[in-house]
Amino acid sequence: MRTYVEKLWVRRLVSLLFLTFVWEVLSRTGVINPFYAPAPSEILRVVVTLFIEGTIFSHLEVTFTAALAGLVFGLALGILLGFAAALIPIVADVLEPVMMILNAIPRVIMAPLFVIWLGIELPSKVALAVVLVAVLIFFAVYSGIKDVNQLFVDRVRTLGGGRMILLREVYIPSVTAWVLGSLKVAVGFAFTGAVVGEFVAATRGLGYLLQFAQSTYNAALTMGLIFLIMTFVLLLFICAEALERRLLRWREHGPHPSNG
Amino acid sequence: MLRVLDLVLGYSYEPVVEKVSLEVSNGKFVSLVGPSGSGKTSVLRAINGLLTPRSGRVEVDGGQESLGFLFQDDALLPWRTARENVALGLRIRKMSKSTALAEADAWLNRLGLEGFGSRYPHELSGGQRKRVAIAQILALKPKLLLMDEPFASLDAIVRTRITQELLNWVEREHLSVLLVTHDLEEAITVSDTVYLLSQGPRARVQTTYEVSIPRPRDIFACRRHPSFAPLLERLWKDMSDGMGAPRVEAAI
Repeated sequence: MRTYVEKLWVRRLVSLLFLTFVWEVLSRTGVINPFYAPAPSEILRVVVTLFIEGTIFSHLEVTFTAALAGLVFGLALGILLGFAAALIPIVADVLEPVMMILNAIPRVIMAPLFVIWLGIELPSKVALAVVLVAVLIFFAVYSGIKDVNQLFVDRVRTLGGGRMILLREVYIPSVTAWVLGSLKVAVGFAFTGAVVGEFVAATRGLGYLLQFAQSTYNAALTMGLIFLIMTFVLLLFICAEALERRLLRWREHGPHPSNG
Repeated sequence: MLRVLDLVLGYSYEPVVEKVSLEVSNGKFVSLVGPSGSGKTSVLRAINGLLTPRSGRVEVDGGQESLGFLFQDDALLPWRTARENVALGLRIRKMSKSTALAEADAWLNRLGLEGFGSRYPHELSGGQRKRVAIAQILALKPKLLLMDEPFASLDAIVRTRITQELLNWVEREHLSVLLVTHDLEEAITVSDTVYLLSQGPRARVQTTYEVSIPRPRDIFACRRHPSFAPLLERLWKDMSDGMGAPRVEAAI
């Protein structure tokens, strides 16, 4: 199994390097127009220059602050509302249709509205990230509680457990599994909110840089920033996955042990 | 130990069981058998407080705390280790964490699960999970065990072994048991009294049978007791007649 995984990694890496090499050759020989698709080496040069000159750091700081604040507040809000809706029927009656609508629409279209309400600085970006994350987490928590295994509830009740013990022993662990399962997607959503918010109107941030690169037809900078954002999201994705694996080690993986 | 009087239970307009009365005396093993849909599990859930009766009474000496409920599924919390699952009931009853875990370890050892305490349920076999579930209940020192086809999901060998072990334990500790099962042979093998419920809805106690096989019992040896086969035949006949189904004499 381990050998297969190692081989898979090698195969993927080799494929990626090969494609990059082909792209480099095609761009340098002019088969594809470098104005639209600059060579990977040129994209790398632009990104490295951003770091060497230090201009990228203030933009990174703004985007990361907006994305992480959006992630944290979005998680908190989603968990709170999810629990409230699942445990208090009147809250569910009010919240469910709102959340359904918010879930059905592409929520990034709210970015201009947040700029009007909160200005072009950080709060409007955080707000967009919060809305993106909170709706996702709301449904994770709400479904997690609604679909909790009734057998576990009965088990704890027959052992003498009341509401608080049920919450601690059954509902919170069940919901944790759902929330952690959605965390990877939430990380991506938080970055989407931050970057799209900056793209619409901002004075700093990776989204602002991206907007600048697009308006000046700078394909190398545009692609460099896209790869940079992808790399950061991927790193956070890996962290979220590690956290999920660690906290949910009780979860079943692979075949079940025998009956005996 | 337990008296159920004129119990009426239902989920819709028509009751599932109607005017069911039964009794489990101290140290007696009682089984409740009947066709599918006769409301056997509902009776057990009502006794344990998981289902509110429409009418009738359930009287348990010592109250709900003296009951232990063994489910058909092991119902272990998947996010708790075996020892934490066993300790759960003790902790709910206000025992300190360290004492509850020590007690849980002792019960796991008694049930042949030494060294398995730190495993999660999915890391245990079906038989081991069932033993953990039994340990969880016995650790609370119940006076009356309620069992809802607890070993139905196990294979024949494991099922026989665990049934015999539990039977030995019940006889040694003089526990009272109310077992719900659809397995008539199992019911006769382990019980002092067997109640047969009629076909639901509106199921009632159709007939009551006393089992005169002496204790302690060996679940293989007691099948050779002279009263075993005639009683099994009577049960089959009465249940088939009650269901309006053809008799299955070849099965006996």
